[in-house]
Amino acid sequence: MVEKRTLIFAILAMVVWAASTSSLAGYFYLQNATYNEQLAENQQSLNKMATTHDETITKYNALLSEYSLLYGSYSFPQNTNFTLLTDMLGNSMSNLKGNYSFLLINQKDLNETYYALQDKYETVSQKSNVTREEFGELLNEFYELFNLLAIRELSRLVSETVTLTVSVCINYGNETVQWHNETSIPTGSSLFQLTQKIATINYTYSAWMKPGHIRLTAINDKEEYTEYKISYSEGGAWIWYYWDDNKQEWVSGPVGCDAWMLKDGGLYKWSFEHWSWP
Amino acid sequence: MRMMATSRKLALISVLAALSLAIQLTPRPPNVEFTSFFTFMVGVMYGALNGALFGCFVMFVNGFLSPYGFAGLNMPFQMVGMTIAGILGGVYRWHTTGMISSQRFCLEGAILGAFVALVFDLITNVGVGVSYILAGMSPTLALLSAIAYGVFFSIIHVSSNTAVFGVLIIPSTKALNNLMKGEQVWLRNEH
Repeated sequence: MVEKRTLIFAILAMVVWAASTSSLAGYFYLQNATYNEQLAENQQSLNKMATTHDETITKYNALLSEYSLLYGSYSFPQNTNFTLLTDMLGNSMSNLKGNYSFLLINQKDLNETYYALQDKYETVSQKSNVTREEFGELLNEFYELFNLLAIRELSRLVSETVTLTVSVCINYGNETVQWHNETSIPTGSSLFQLTQKIATINYTYSAWMKPGHIRLTAINDKEEYTEYKISYSEGGAWIWYYWDDNKQEWVSGPVGCDAWMLKDGGLYKWSFEHWSWP
Repeated sequence: MRMMATSRKLALISVLAALSLAIQLTPRPPNVEFTSFFTFMVGVMYGALNGALFGCFVMFVNGFLSPYGFAGLNMPFQMVGMTIAGILGGVYRWHTTGMISSQRFCLEGAILGAFVALVFDLITNVGVGVSYILAGMSPTLALLSAIAYGVFFSIIHVSSNTAVFGVLIIPSTKALNNLMKGEQVWLRNEH
């Protein structure tokens, strides 16, 4: 016969054991439920991404077909009326604007590029006789913008599920260096967008510069300047660099900052540098 | 004689309270504590009421001075948890009138230590659950989440309390027995 006291302590020990294991089971159950929920969310997000991707590619293919038609007529002109082709390019530009309206409204640099192209188009289209060269130049700029928009659209799609982490430093040229480490930014963002996010900037739009048309004139109130002197000029300007992992050195930016797409873990630098010419 | 006994009792309780607080405020692994043991011992020696008051007071002070920060909403739950430890000490004293072997005394102490830790953790986890409810979570999910996510801390607490009670109950009882000899305190065990 078991003593009552022993029984009470055995029950107490069992209560402790049962409560601890039940809590442990509850913990794993909740963790499992949380992971399942996250997996379902991720799956949903992937499905949405696949659907949006299909829509994006359909738009891209349709516009590419229009471009191909125009390019064919431009490349093999046989009594081609370039004035008529310019009108057709106008339609393609309208389609471009309609299909990428979100990007054109929300991304200033693209918006400015589009309106610069439209101004140019309107100037050319008012002419009674459009030359092949004039049409070719328009078509070329249209294609560049179209490609840039397509890349941004796809990147925007990825950015709904992936965020980049980059670091950028601003060297003011007076031994003041400011680092912005581990900055989060959506995938598909350009260096221009990153700089807008981390600093107060002024910029100008340069039509002659490409790819990328944005040139920064000031970062955090440090403005570029030019002094003209007899037989030479000098000044200070903002130059950007990216860190080349293979070469292990800073490489001067080969394109405008609005055309340079950021990569995850990338290192970027803005440097205020002195120049003189000749 | 009675006056002297009361003074000694007060002095001992004060020393134990100071010791509990000093250990509470010392950096240590989370949920490894001696307060529940001292509270339980005060309950054993001076009854459930004194044990309950002791535990309640220590947790009240600890709530303000703890190295983990101000206990806030959880403080009343901690006080209730430790009060129950003191009451359990008093109940144990009341049910332990005969002689028991040191091995059994040790085992019972270990089981009670685990039980005290479990009850304390359950109550304080409910306190955490209440804060989740106030933050807008549904009551059932809040309480279940608080208990489930506190399980690893609870396991540490239960294990450490099992060890602390199991190891310390005999030497502490002996020491307190010697200290309080002749004052009719509970110490009728065979060691």
